[in-house]
Amino acid sequence: MHEDSIQQRLGLAPGTPPLVALKGVSKYFPGVIANEDVDLAVYPGEIHALLGENGAGKSTLMNVLTGIYHMDAGEIIMDGESRRFASPIDAIAAGIGMVHQHFKLVKAFTVAENIHLGWDATPARISRKALEERTMNLADTLGLAVKPGAIVADLSTGEQQRVEILRVLARDAKVLILDEPTAVLTPSEARDLFAALRAFVARGNAVIFISHKLDEVMEISNRVSILRAGRKIATEWTSDCSETSLAQLMVGREIVLNDMRGDGGARKIGAPMVTLEGVTLKSEYGTVLKNVSLSVRAGEILGIAGVAGNGQRELTYVLSGLVAPSKGTVTLDGEDIGRAGARVFAQKGVGHIPEDRLYAGMAPTLSITDNAVLREYALPPLSNGPWYAPRRALALAREIARIAGVMVPDFAMPARNLSGGNQQRLVARREMRIADKVLIAAYPSRGLDVGAINTMMRYFVEMRDSGVAVVLISEELEEVLNLADRIAVMFHGEIMGVVPAQGADIEQIGLMMGGQRQQGQAA
Amino acid sequence: MSYRLQRMPVAAPSVLFSARVLSVILALLTAAAVLALSGKDPIALGGKVLSSTFGSRFGLEDLGLLFSPLLYCGLAVAVGLRIGAWNIGAEGQFNLGAFAATGVALFVPGPAWLLVPLMALAGMAGGALWILIPTLAKAYADVSELITTLLMNFVALLLVYWVATGPWLDPSGMALATTARLSVSVPYVWGIVHWGLPVALMLAVGLAVMFAYTRWGYEVRIGGANPGAAAYAGMPVQRHLILVMLMSGAIAGLGGMMEVAGTVGRLQGGISNNYGYLGIMVAVLARAAPLGVIATAFFMAVILNGGIVLQSQGLTTHTVLAITGLILFYAAIADEVARYKLIPTTGKVTPKGAR
Repeated sequence: MHEDSIQQRLGLAPGTPPLVALKGVSKYFPGVIANEDVDLAVYPGEIHALLGENGAGKSTLMNVLTGIYHMDAGEIIMDGESRRFASPIDAIAAGIGMVHQHFKLVKAFTVAENIHLGWDATPARISRKALEERTMNLADTLGLAVKPGAIVADLSTGEQQRVEILRVLARDAKVLILDEPTAVLTPSEARDLFAALRAFVARGNAVIFISHKLDEVMEISNRVSILRAGRKIATEWTSDCSETSLAQLMVGREIVLNDMRGDGGARKIGAPMVTLEGVTLKSEYGTVLKNVSLSVRAGEILGIAGVAGNGQRELTYVLSGLVAPSKGTVTLDGEDIGRAGARVFAQKGVGHIPEDRLYAGMAPTLSITDNAVLREYALPPLSNGPWYAPRRALALAREIARIAGVMVPDFAMPARNLSGGNQQRLVARREMRIADKVLIAAYPSRGLDVGAINTMMRYFVEMRDSGVAVVLISEELEEVLNLADRIAVMFHGEIMGVVPAQGADIEQIGLMMGGQRQQGQAA
Repeated sequence: MSYRLQRMPVAAPSVLFSARVLSVILALLTAAAVLALSGKDPIALGGKVLSSTFGSRFGLEDLGLLFSPLLYCGLAVAVGLRIGAWNIGAEGQFNLGAFAATGVALFVPGPAWLLVPLMALAGMAGGALWILIPTLAKAYADVSELITTLLMNFVALLLVYWVATGPWLDPSGMALATTARLSVSVPYVWGIVHWGLPVALMLAVGLAVMFAYTRWGYEVRIGGANPGAAAYAGMPVQRHLILVMLMSGAIAGLGGMMEVAGTVGRLQGGISNNYGYLGIMVAVLARAAPLGVIATAFFMAVILNGGIVLQSQGLTTHTVLAITGLILFYAAIADEVARYKLIPTTGKVTPKGAR
């Protein structure tokens, strides 16, 4: 893109410098490239979308820009000067403010108090009335309607977000960063937000809009930068793009098709083992699963694709009995057990490799033995009536460690001392032992190296061949394409479509991940 | 050849034990140095403490009387820690147990063989009742038990002061701030040491067995270490939490009953004598292991008894408290230091990560 054309197309005077520019920004975490060599320039009057899958490095980049992280290489340029922000306070003083996905408001305080909290422009002594008046004035000037006297906890998420935005704008932000702002909004709230953002940039400011929703990016942004695996892939004028081309840029990396099914499709797939019928799940965050109907058959691997946070976690909870659906049924091998609880699911042969093993699958401070027997402690020979036999538990733990290929120097050692890969192997083997009917694996390859991932994938093929229905949830599209028989794509708690994995159209999957329903499928 | 320190993921039990012993010795040495600086003869004082504690039958009996309440309170706190709850309220539950037991002794007529067990039940019920509200608040509203159990202590303490100086005041007019002598008492086993001590020791062993060799013990362990994992395995986390916390209160309450019906014989203000708070230290030093509590409670009893002896030598209670504080302080450091190992470094060896 030629420099001048940007100003022209944005209706700026020729030579107008960007409000903020990143040059060659790199940020490394131990063993991970979070960002590498990223250039990004944001001009007055533009809404710049930052698009990418989870883990593509969007949030890290913005955390560098707002002083939460310190970059390892590169520079931030504002007004022709290289800047370094030691903290978010420095960043906001320079006019860069961010609204995070999780609001940083004091819920017990009023809107006015939240706006004025930790702000040096707040008078040292001020009456509640004057404080609310100031807030009202700010809200009027900035065009964001809020109720100054209301307690934040009583507000809807949309209203809370408006307070958060007002808080940032009141501190004279020129660049407003929004991290997936519409994830928590109703459609009409989202429309209000978009109108406010347009008004904000019309005053010569800029917005960086982080999202992975293609329709939104198309609607709101002037330009869009796509990140993939920590690097910037492209910056395009949104009007030159289509949802299809953006999807391609976002997920269309070189997919290494390496069929790991290993049978050439001659397998016999059996009867449905687990079936969800019209499953809806409501939580405090709203409806997280919407009318999901899905069936996984014996001897098949069903892959679940989608950007993380679109209901996959909740789907595993329902499938493993941790949460009962608000509506709909879960049928396991012909028996409706949706409300029977996690213990019954496990007893009936449902294994579950959880998404966050340190939170759910293990007790990291307890011994490896305690962790290894979590599924079988209540069964003979480990338990006999109310009694529990620690020696037999140790024997079982040794057995599980042996098949998992994990060297354990001391089984009394806390499980947190194992590497992430070894923890995952132990959990996987533990779950496979009980998974006679169904195995649910949520992001099983997270934190593993390539060799360990291959081992894990072979486990799943082995399970499948023994007639188990395997549900594989992954953010690695390759993994799902290479292993699954069918792929279901989730978006906003709904199944956008189910396609056969072999010969699947990657572009179409990308579109479904961005919220487009499968062609020819009724809503 | 040079050496460097390397932090190990776990410390061997033998290393940990020696570190603990060393920390106690260091604490005593520090205390001795302070005493010497203030003009006392630490060696003579130490000898006096040892000879009055262990040198005579009376000393040992006194020690037994201090050992018993520390065991109950230490076990109460340790049991709570097993499910991840900090019972700071053993002091209050101890008072309530004493109060409830006294109520039975004063107002229920009956033979001793019936009354004593009834008082024990009343004591346990009193202790459990006193932790009931913090328990329900934690289980259902996620209210921190640290604060609620602590606050209940003051209420219990004042309640006991009030009944002992008011409605239940000894009618004979001989005592100013206690109830009448209870008509029944816990039988003696050895001199003035009553059954409270052996019962507490059996309780410690019983709890150790329950935690190590029952399914329930396993579930409590998982629930205390990671409620998320317990829910994932389908364990009734909330039920375990409620039951274990009530158990914790009941144990402290039983300690209060034994104190009033075995050691003191009457209910008086301040009967808990800070045992509830010392129990926290006992449990933490024992890492919440019931059998460990036997050792640490005994140790604490020796220190308390030593304190009483020292007081007769002109030292204040504060000195004694300072020494207990020092021991805890050194023990905490020792636990951390025990994880480090000296590793010889030769030129070409690459450091191996602990993980």
